[in-house]
Amino acid sequence: MPQVLSTASDRKIQVREISRRFGPKVALHPTSFEVGPGGVTALLGPNGSGKSTLLRCIVGLVRPDSGSVTLDGVELSGDGTAVRRRTTFAPGEISLYTELRGREHLSWLLRGREREAVAVAESLADALGLPLDHRVRTYSHGMKRQLLFCAAMAPRVPVRILDEPSEGLDPSRRGAILELIERDAARGTTILLSSHHLGEVDRASSRMLFLHQGRLVRSEDSAGVRAQAARTLRLDYGSALEIPERAAAILAVLEGLGGQGKGPSPGPVRAVVRGRRAIVTLPEGDPRALLALIFAQRDLPPPESVEYGQLSLAELYRDVYGVEAV
Amino acid sequence: MGAATRSLLWRALALTLTLEALLVPAVLFWPNFRDNLDSLRGMMPFKAARDMLDQFGSAGAAGYVCGQQFFKACNTLGTAAAVLFAAGAVAGEAHRGTLELWLSRPVPRRRLLLERWGAGALALVLPVFLTSATIPWLIGQADVEEEIALSAMLLCAAHQSALLLAIYSATFFCSSVGSNPMAIGFAMLFLTVFQFAIYLIERVTHYSLFRLADIPRFIAICERGELDLRIVLPLLCASGVFVLASVLAFDRRVP
Repeated sequence: MPQVLSTASDRKIQVREISRRFGPKVALHPTSFEVGPGGVTALLGPNGSGKSTLLRCIVGLVRPDSGSVTLDGVELSGDGTAVRRRTTFAPGEISLYTELRGREHLSWLLRGREREAVAVAESLADALGLPLDHRVRTYSHGMKRQLLFCAAMAPRVPVRILDEPSEGLDPSRRGAILELIERDAARGTTILLSSHHLGEVDRASSRMLFLHQGRLVRSEDSAGVRAQAARTLRLDYGSALEIPERAAAILAVLEGLGGQGKGPSPGPVRAVVRGRRAIVTLPEGDPRALLALIFAQRDLPPPESVEYGQLSLAELYRDVYGVEAV
Repeated sequence: MGAATRSLLWRALALTLTLEALLVPAVLFWPNFRDNLDSLRGMMPFKAARDMLDQFGSAGAAGYVCGQQFFKACNTLGTAAAVLFAAGAVAGEAHRGTLELWLSRPVPRRRLLLERWGAGALALVLPVFLTSATIPWLIGQADVEEEIALSAMLLCAAHQSALLLAIYSATFFCSSVGSNPMAIGFAMLFLTVFQFAIYLIERVTHYSLFRLADIPRFIAICERGELDLRIVLPLLCASGVFVLASVLAFDRRVP
């Protein structure tokens, strides 16, 4: 995949206070963030959280009601053509011209791009095993998704915006697509993607933006996640946490261990129950220093096991949205 | 050849063949028609139809051909084609879910819209001109002594095209703001059929849009050898207004 980025290119996406409402429904509250240069940033959130609206606003398909977007140094204005020249966009919804052959569709998708982009897209499609001489109506959902992906990855642009690029793909295809995304990011391209697959986000992205009901509720980079993991203990109390009154008592004791000069934490300890485990997080410092205190508490049963330094994206997701991620 | 070009050619070809298929037997039948004009007049159930036959009789082959090609074929089939070509132009993309894809390429929206308008307009107008250009040759094959000038037929085609473009542009505007091509198509077809129907009713005929492209108008164009700009210019202006409104609506359209 050729990648020649202009030296003048800043490869950043700067979103400042953009908002959008559709009739009475606010799809996006004023939202600001900056992405890049380079790297893969994942946009996470449940259905209807505003991910697609945000991505469409960035590429100028939907005009924001307020705020501004700058992509690779170019301000979003008018119908957004200037911005779309510096980025590619793979829509989340798959509706293609099924009467066209795969090859024709790639050329159609790549109108307005450099001439070589079609050849690059065809070679990507060949590598993914897409039958480009067949009509798109014979394609499966996953094949259509890959066709869009090939068109989005082929042009030489500093920024790519991919709305659920691996939705509907089997694990092997998903792996191949993630590999292409990682390779592209390694060349310096800034990639902003939305996804529901936490596994792929965990693997490919260096930063995560969490949207909820049209608001950006959290932004985490890999270092931040590692730092949070380093402040977190998981205590397995077995069936004791399955009894609500017992669980509440255990949490109260654990939260009482923080602050007031009693332990290693300068601030309050945060404790939540997840299944059979109590997750204990300190605002800062090493939570392992709490262990002696925990074991010394007479009104706390001794934990069956203790884990330290691990935080999965699924937990982070649950932390933000309060629902179990799958 | 791109898909859009191919689609344009198929539409233009289909309309050309249909118009020509109606025109050839109609022109070749002219001598028989002329000879039986009085009998035919007696069979006509209402005044509007009898008036039309009188116009054929007084204007000869030119009046008859204008009636067949422009008033009958172009005003019915051409209008239907104008509505069908325009109804799906943008609303069709929204309906099938491809609007986002169409707009997500680095091509200005105005260019996309005007290209689509232009392609449809060409597919609509070209067959009218092409088939009208065959009339002088066809009348020569009809074993009559009359002649029809090519320039007169091309002027009539231009006049007819102005009306069809106005109908096409109005439908195109509806398509630019709507998302249901079937509803737009049916509504516009109903409206145009209604307009054509009231042309045939003596008391309300003056309210019909098709008064702007009826047999006396075409006969006058043939006789004077020039376009009736009092009709053509407003029709072209109406098209322009609808195109401008489409552009403005499309600029802010959410996929």
